[in-house]
Amino acid sequence: MTTTIRHSRRVAWAFLAPALILLGVFVAWPLLRAAIWSFTNADLLAPNDSHWTGVSNYADVLTDPQFRRAFGNTALFALMVVPVQSAVAFVLALWVNRPEHPWRWLRAVFFVPVVVSMPVLAVLWTMLYQPVQGSENGLINVAVRWLGIPPQAWLSDPPLALPAIAFMSVWQGLGLQMMVFVAGLQGVPRVLLEASRIDGANAFQRVVHVVIPAMRNTIIFVITVTTILAARLFVQPYLMTRGGPGNRTRSLIQLIYENTFVSQDLGRACAIAMLFLGLVAALTLLQRRWSTEERT
Amino acid sequence: MARLVDAKLLYPLNAWFTSAELEDFLPTVLEQGTIDGRLYALGAFESAVVLYFNRDVFNAAGVTTPATGQSWSWPEFLSACAKVRHQGIEPVALHMNESADEWFTYAFSPLVWSGEGRLISTDGKRVSGVLASPENVRTLTAWQQLFRLEFAATDPVDPDPFGHGRSAMDWSGHWMARPHVTDLGDKLGVLPLPRMGDKSFAPCGSWCWGIARQSKHPELAALWLQWVTDSEHGIVPIVRANGAIPARRSAFAFFAEYAHAPYALFRDQLERSARPRPRTPYYATLTQRFAAALRDIARGADVERRLQEAEREIQRVIDRRN
Repeated sequence: MTTTIRHSRRVAWAFLAPALILLGVFVAWPLLRAAIWSFTNADLLAPNDSHWTGVSNYADVLTDPQFRRAFGNTALFALMVVPVQSAVAFVLALWVNRPEHPWRWLRAVFFVPVVVSMPVLAVLWTMLYQPVQGSENGLINVAVRWLGIPPQAWLSDPPLALPAIAFMSVWQGLGLQMMVFVAGLQGVPRVLLEASRIDGANAFQRVVHVVIPAMRNTIIFVITVTTILAARLFVQPYLMTRGGPGNRTRSLIQLIYENTFVSQDLGRACAIAMLFLGLVAALTLLQRRWSTEERT
Repeated sequence: MARLVDAKLLYPLNAWFTSAELEDFLPTVLEQGTIDGRLYALGAFESAVVLYFNRDVFNAAGVTTPATGQSWSWPEFLSACAKVRHQGIEPVALHMNESADEWFTYAFSPLVWSGEGRLISTDGKRVSGVLASPENVRTLTAWQQLFRLEFAATDPVDPDPFGHGRSAMDWSGHWMARPHVTDLGDKLGVLPLPRMGDKSFAPCGSWCWGIARQSKHPELAALWLQWVTDSEHGIVPIVRANGAIPARRSAFAFFAEYAHAPYALFRDQLERSARPRPRTPYYATLTQRFAAALRDIARGADVERRLQEAEREIQRVIDRRN
């Protein structure tokens, strides 16, 4: 090996070191500890005083009706949010994808809720959703009355609470997906669009046969990221309903949080976190498989 | 605190305080800090929850109140609510929008106790058959009536409807005494919380301090604890600042307001009818799941089924550590 190669290797490691150290300290090491704790009876107050319990945490979690319910709530939330948010974001992106000033301004408007802190929005929407209480009535109930719908207890009626949170979440997250789609749209080859126009394709045909195939990877990326973000549901239900009514909005992350800080059962909390990690990793792998097919 | 004692993280304090000193503390402070006969924690201040009322509204609605220090039975309380409701005023603020889970267990456990129920078994290890007992189902069904009859809001937005003149009564703590005295003046009245059975119970409890087992100098920590719980040097400046109730009898001499209502009732309750919340290592889970059940019950959930669900959730956590 020549000295130049040896030297450039050393330089390479020097450049890699900051990222590797940060990833090691803040990702790899905590992950490893959590994985180890998940096989022990670790107590939050004395985590080093634990002993090996094999897969008993996993067995306990998987047979717990509360875990199944939190998993079901989270999955249902993702099923409501992902298709709607992605589709609406795509349509909005088509609409605002113009260079003129008003459209750029509109893009910023749709992006505002993404920037505002979620707890602030959660408090605002709790007020918007307020049910009729004596003389008090939330703005959403006033609005639906115009449509002839009787006022609802949006956040405290068991079948309505999760859809109400999903609706608010779609509104909040829409801007991010829209921006990614706008970036994707600007990458669609102009020649293809012009060629299809000359061939007589109308706007709808151009979207279906040119834009969507060209944006395949963007669409898969948006759907995957939206699914992962939806699976991480926590702040909205924790602040708006505390997981109620009847545990109908208790999410997987809330369960991890409560196992860690309320019952202080660190081993069990880590087991749930590991199961959650597996779920997210599986989604990411699926995305990689689908999007690489396109490139080959 | 019970959790810290269970994890063997606290020193007993008995060696650092004489029995004469301890007798000066309110009985609730000692009871809360004591586990298996040993004192592990002491505080400088206490708390109270009472039923504040607006005399003008009561007079207009024809509501009469029991003698000083006496409480309403539940049917008497509901009938007072009905009379006020008839006048078109919201009868009582229960602060169901409180974001802290602790409010629910703290403010409404006295009803469970006065209905001859318990939250957890005496050994602090069993909720099955205790939390969803027939007594508690009866008590919380009666409590649910407040919401069914629209006497109290399940989802209020205003944090102080009573102070804003929008409700006739306020089921609230000592921390509202000063604002209410300022807002209502002579119109302010105060009663102990209504009772389900023969005896009225009051909530109590506040922040407290203990000494960590890892401490290399527990005697210095104890010296600090003696200073912070000293009537003149610790309690008086703290209570002047935070408006809580002094934890020691000798400290009341520094606060003239405790000679009359509403403050006199706070002390009276702590001396006679207050009961501390259960001291169990599983308290954090117990209070959180019980609070979730109370929220659902207020919104019309089936009382027995909801309490049984809370029982199962809490018992599962207890059984994992036994």
